[in-house]
Order: sequence, then C-alpha cells, then structure tokens
Amino acid sequence: MSPDTESAAAPTREHRNIYQPIPMTVADRRDETADVRTLRLEFPGDAERTRFFEAYRVGQFGLYGMPGQGECVFCVASPPTRTDAIECTFRQAGRVTAALRDREVGQRITFRGPYGNHFPIEQWKGKNLLFVAGGIALPPLRAVIWNILDRRDEFGKVAILYGARTVADLVYKHELAEWDARDNVDLVQTVDPGGETDDWRGKIGFVPAVLEEVAPKPADTIALVCGPPIMIKFTLPVLAKLGFPAADTYTTLENRMKCGVGKCGRCNVGHLYVCKDGPVFTVEQLKAMPHADM
Amino acid sequence: MDLAKLRQDAAALLADGRAGLVIGFRERAGACVPAFVTDADQADALVYDDTCIANLAAYLRKPEIRQRRPVALVARPHVMRSLILLKAEHQLQGDDVLVLAVGDDTYHGVLTLAEAERLLNETYADLATDAQVLAEIERLEQMSPEERARFWSEQFAKCTRCYACRAACPMCYCERCIVEKNVPQWISTAAAGHGNYAWNVIRAFHLAGRCIECGACEAACPQGIPLMLLNALLAREARDQFDARPGYDAEAEPVVGSWNKDDDEGFIR
Amino acid sequence: MKILDASKLSDLADTLAGAGYRVVVPVQDGDRVRYAEWSPGATIRTDAFPVNSAKDFLFPRSEVIDRYQLDGDDFTPLEVRPPAPRTVLLAVRPCDAASLAMLDTIFNWDYEDDLYNARRAATTVVPLVCTRADAQCFCTSVGGAPDSSAGADALLHPADGGSRLILEPLTDKGKALVEAAGGALADGKAAPDAPADVPARFDPDKVRAWLADNFEADLWDLLSYACLGCGACAYACPTCHCFDMQDEATRTESVRLRNWDSCGFALFTKHAGGHNPRPDQAARWRNRVMHKFSYIPERFDLVGCTGCGRCARLCPAGMAMLEACTRIEEEARKAPAHES
Repeated sequence: MSPDTESAAAPTREHRNIYQPIPMTVADRRDETADVRTLRLEFPGDAERTRFFEAYRVGQFGLYGMPGQGECVFCVASPPTRTDAIECTFRQAGRVTAALRDREVGQRITFRGPYGNHFPIEQWKGKNLLFVAGGIALPPLRAVIWNILDRRDEFGKVAILYGARTVADLVYKHELAEWDARDNVDLVQTVDPGGETDDWRGKIGFVPAVLEEVAPKPADTIALVCGPPIMIKFTLPVLAKLGFPAADTYTTLENRMKCGVGKCGRCNVGHLYVCKDGPVFTVEQLKAMPHADM
Repeated sequence: MDLAKLRQDAAALLADGRAGLVIGFRERAGACVPAFVTDADQADALVYDDTCIANLAAYLRKPEIRQRRPVALVARPHVMRSLILLKAEHQLQGDDVLVLAVGDDTYHGVLTLAEAERLLNETYADLATDAQVLAEIERLEQMSPEERARFWSEQFAKCTRCYACRAACPMCYCERCIVEKNVPQWISTAAAGHGNYAWNVIRAFHLAGRCIECGACEAACPQGIPLMLLNALLAREARDQFDARPGYDAEAEPVVGSWNKDDDEGFIR
Repeated sequence: MKILDASKLSDLADTLAGAGYRVVVPVQDGDRVRYAEWSPGATIRTDAFPVNSAKDFLFPRSEVIDRYQLDGDDFTPLEVRPPAPRTVLLAVRPCDAASLAMLDTIFNWDYEDDLYNARRAATTVVPLVCTRADAQCFCTSVGGAPDSSAGADALLHPADGGSRLILEPLTDKGKALVEAAGGALADGKAAPDAPADVPARFDPDKVRAWLADNFEADLWDLLSYACLGCGACAYACPTCHCFDMQDEATRTESVRLRNWDSCGFALFTKHAGGHNPRPDQAARWRNRVMHKFSYIPERFDLVGCTGCGRCARLCPAGMAMLEACTRIEEEARKAPAHES
C-alpha cells in the first residue's frame, strides 16, 4: 500500500517550505554574563542578506536553531542600520540554547525570520525616547537604541535606565560604557540592593524606584520597557504616574512560540497572535487584552 | 444499590462541610460522565452503575480539586485501591478524601480512607483480573515473538499520543512525564513507529506493581488500544514474582523502588 | 443522475483506487470505526461515527517538515517534500468537509504552508449526507447541516430508503472523480432520502457575545473540573490545528517534526523559565472554547467548530463542547451581555 506520490494538481509556483530556515555562520561570540552569550551571525550569501534587510524592522524576532536540537525564539538584537550581520543574545535555559551556546566561530546554526511586528520608530522622529530595561531583556531595546543612535539627528533626547540583579548580571557592558561616554545619551544603571560591587558607580535600587527618581519629563517622550514580568508589573504604574500615556508606552511580549508564522497556535493572547500582531505592543493594547500578565 | 442513600450522604457531607466537593457520576445523553457537586441541593443528579468506569481518583492530582479538600469520591473497590496506593506513595493524606463506597451492587456508606482499606481487605481482597483479558493474554503468550511484535505494532500504530491513558490514570501523577523530557530525549515524539511502541511499553513498566487494574486507561483510549493486556500481564508478574498487591496496604512499599535481601536475583546474569 | 447501490460503495472505492486515487473511507478497525486508506476486503461503515477526523489526511499527526544530514559540527539541509498523493475523502461526514474552510484559512492566512497546500490541492472531498444523527451532533448550531455541501467537490446522497446512493459532482475535481468512477456508477433515477433532523442547540453569536464579556467568569472553573488535560478532544477535532515542532536526530541525520499539540496540555504554553500564562485547566479549557467561538470568529469570520461532536463522544472525562456552549448560552440568558 505505497502512497501514490503523483500530485493531481501540479503546483503552479515554486514549492516553498515556510518552516525551512537558512544556515548562518557564527562570526563572533561574546559572553555577556556567566550564562548569557551573544552570537554574531553572517548570512550565507548576499541574496539572503539583502532579502533579510529589505524586510527587517527593529523589534522583530527570529527563530535560531540547531538541526537535531530544535529552534528558539529571540529578538534580533542588532539594528537594521547595521547590515553586514545580525546578532542575538540569549541565556542558556534548555537543550537548544545549550547547543547554540556551544557553537564556535566559523560554525553554523539555522535562522528563520524576521517575523512579527516592529517598533514604529519612523513615527517617533523628533521625539524624546526613554528606555527602561531589566536584566536579560535589554537585547530588544539595544537594537532600538543603536537604530536611534545610528540616526541620532532624527530623534530628540535619549534616556536609558538599565537595571540588573547584580553587577555581574548586566549585559553589553562595553556598550553601556560607550553609551555612558556619549554626551547625547543619558544612561543610568542600577543594581538590586546587595548586587553592587565595591567599585560600582551606578545606582543601587530596583528599577521602578530608580525610574521614579531619574525619569525625564513625559512631554513628547516615547517610553519603551522590557524586563522580567515582575519588573514590568511594577514599572508600568510608575510610568503612568509620571504621566507617560499608555498609548506612547511600548513593551514586548515573549510568549512561547514554535512556528513563528501564525499557525501553531500557542502564543495567542485573546484573538491576537504574539508572533504576528506582536511582539511589540503598547500598554494601551495590553490593557485591552485578557490576562496579558502585566 | 441504595442510590438514594448515596445522594443523601453526598448532600449531608456538603451541607455540614465535611467535604468541599463530591465527585461522582451523572447521566448525560444516555452515558455516565463524572459529576462535580459543590452544593448539597445538586446531589440528586448523582447516579451509579457498572458503566461508571472512570477512575475518579485521577482528579486528586488537579490543584483546583485539591484546593477543595476534603474531597468525597464515589469509589468502587478498584478506585478505593487507587486511593490506598496514592496514600502509600505519599500523594494523599488520610484526611484528604472521603469515600462514598460502592461495590457488588451495594452502597457501603461514607468511609474514611482507613475504613475503606479495612472494607477492601475484608470484602474485596480478591479482585480477579477480567476473564476476557486473561484469555487474550494467554492467546498472546502462545504467539511467537514475531507474531506478538506484529500484534503490538498494529495496536500501537493507532496511538495518536493524546495521552488520554495517562490522564485517566490516578497513578500517572508525575509533574513532568518521561515522554516530555528532552534532555536527553528518551522517547521519540513522533506519533508513529518506535516512539509509540516505546511510549506505551514504558508507561506500562512505570505502572508495574502499581496498576490496580481499574481499566480506566483502556476505556479512555479513543483508538481502542487494548492497554489492559499490558497492564494486567505486568500486574500478574508483579503478583507472582513479588507478591505485589497494590492498594491493599497504605503502608506498603512499592515493588519497584524497594529492596529486600531475599529478593530473587536469578534474573541477573 | 449518477447512482450506485449503497452496498456497492466498496466497488466504487476499488474502482477509484484502481484509477490512482488514495481512497480514504470510514472502515471497521477492531471495535472502532475510523477513516483509513481503503484496502480490498475492508468493511466500509457509514452508520457509525469515525473516531478520527478527515484532517488526518491533510495535516497528519506527525510529519517531517525539515531534514538535515549531520556532518560532525556541520550540517547539510536536505529537501523535504512530503508525498501529496491524489486522494479522495469518500463518504466522510459533511462536518468533516466543512472543517476544511478552517484548515485552509489557518494554513494560508498569512504565510502559505505548501506542505498542507500540496496535499489539499491533490484531495477531492466527497461527503455523504447524514440521514441519522446522535445526541452529540450539533452541526446546525454552528452554521452547518447534515446535507451541507460546504467544502465538498461532490456529494453522496443516500436514496431510496438507504438502498442507493446518488453521487452529485459539484466542482471540476468532483467531475473528474465521477469520470474516474466509470462503470462503478450507473445512470438512473433515485429519490434522495431526507437528511437527519439535527435540531439547533444554541446560537453561536450569543455564545460569542457572552465570551467577549466573561473571560474571568466563575463558570470556567465549573466547566473545567472534569477535564483531565489530555489531547483526545483536540486530536479528534476536525478544526484543531495546533502543533509542536520537535527535532530528533541520529548521529548522521536529523529531522524536524511537526506533531499535533493541544491547548489542553499543561506544557503547551509553559515558558522555559517556568511561568505559565495558562496556569490551570480552567484557563486552558477557556482557551479552547474562546478559540473556537470567539477568537477565530473575530479573526477569520468563521466559527471554529463544525459541530461533529467527536470531542464529547471520545472524552474519557465527559467534557463536551456542546454542553459547554449550551451552558454558556443559558448563562447569557440569565445575565444579558452589556449593550454598548
């Protein structure tokens, strides 16, 4: 009973497999913390690279994989203004991230994307920007920050508040130093009480409390918040209290995903697919969602 | 069977707060389905007959059910054995559950777990394996290994990995089942071939000496895979080799997972 | 009019198989009836409800969607092009045929899934009008009917008191099938039997209106107590399309599998970090009802349920979409949705 492999209706266009990724080469890898690593990934050819950057807008995500292990969702952590390669930053949490972490320079992984919506930065020209990030959630905002800094003249003031549990948990330390040194960026770093080292020169305190102390005026300012659920939960009320409108406050949702293309059915919040309608949402949108865990 | 008395007892348990929830059976479109009674005045919906084969002890692993402890369960002897075994495996405290005991067309009243244990040992100490299942096991044992493998391959080919068997079984209470572990991946996730074989056989082995032969897994299987052939065979082996009588002694140690210096070591070569 | 004796359905299956179709029919298999590939000698059963749905042949329960040759630390992608045999879904239920609108939509609403589409393009759908229904049937409550031609390329009507079948082609694929059937069909006349009487049991719009306002209702706890969290309903459901992707490898080759998955499983939405946005069975069962009766209607202007009733027939715990919906409608009557 061997199945007849003849197809009655011959496909009229080229067969495409939307689940088939492209191979990417690890061009560089960097340890951000003890368990967080950044990979710099080069495209297999100019055609793939061009196709990606024609589509890519900041805030979108991809699926990074290792054949035999599986795929994982992370944001693209590098901006569309830097078109020679892309970067991703992830914490080792399971089978796939362990395999990705073990890749050495010159070795390959797989990639699908870019997927999802993006931050509407073209609508933010001339506006001030406030970035609030916690721990391992800096990567999505890092892509926006570099996107803005690479087009610095088009935007107003840039303020960044970044916090982590301890000094050791701060990611992108060399870039933090670079942002700190710029006179057109206002960077405040903080660690949770007890997480400081002897030579720590930043703040000591939880992100929501430090935000209340250092936040810029809300007028003409877009706020972007990414962090662990508990940080988001306590930061959003502070932003609201400071006068940042919910419609101008952005965050990303990171629900479990498999397909990334609106089919596998697990990332939905209400009728919205985080993989299609997100991952970027305004707080105003989140408030209209059932149980968005905010 | 005195159904009126069962309903009356269920209502009284809820009314005087001795139980936060009564789980029994109700009739729906000609079939018996589990019923969850939270108010005394709903107890009249409870029914019971021989078609009520779901093992209600499986519900005790649900956090939202446990929140309503103590829970009273309509339980036939097999289900009482499940409860005793859950206690032996430290999944239940003695006062977590009350039993609305039914058996041999008799309603035995509201029992504590200790009383249910006594009833089991006095009245239901010899629950025979279903005769049809035994006959089918014998038929399989007459087969050559190749024939038997073919039989099981055909059966397991039907498995869709819906895990209804696992869900229906009170003893499948692991928070993360081996079939969902992927570091390493013990069992292929594909609902086909060796993965299906491995899943069904490994589940049976995990129940060796623990299966009380209630039949709920087989009844739950949408595909009609005769799971009790595996379970009853292993139950027989555990009984013959290790005197395993799961669910009769709330202090008993599990056959697999306990050690005795007199254990037969003849199989180690 | 093309007709055949009802007892000769297996001859039609034989003829179509001979003409190169993979013929999928409801057959007796042990003590169950299931849709399976026809093989001579099998017993066709149109009088009992199959345990599986027709989706099995368009969206199989496990499928290789990507494949690699592993070479030490590197890999080589291999082409994946699953077979898309010319298939006829013969004498399936109209509620199975109706479910294809949902599957076609989800696999094409944005990205187009060519793995599904290749099989779909090669499939001819020939439902058999139902002349009997059971207590779990509710197609008429969700826009269907026992004689619906939704999704059908041809329709089989029982006729002359069940002794004959009329085969009515509706599309080009249907006409091609009639042609392929050749002598298995005769020209003649027969009087179609009345379709089954399936009373409407609830109004999906009323259910949807209640759902919109009642994400947090206490009723969800009550409705979901019985659910033991398996995938029996989702896997039997003709419209459930959720899947998992899993890699498996030998030393030299790896495959990426697409396996059916279910929102009823606790692990379905659980994050790697341990957090679960649907932490209990009430949240998971609510998603199942919401998805079919609120999210899909809102997103795609379809009802995500065809009223086949398999979920209720197969659930080992007595959960039932029909019962949930009638209960919800009852609730909606008690406390009408806010008019805005």
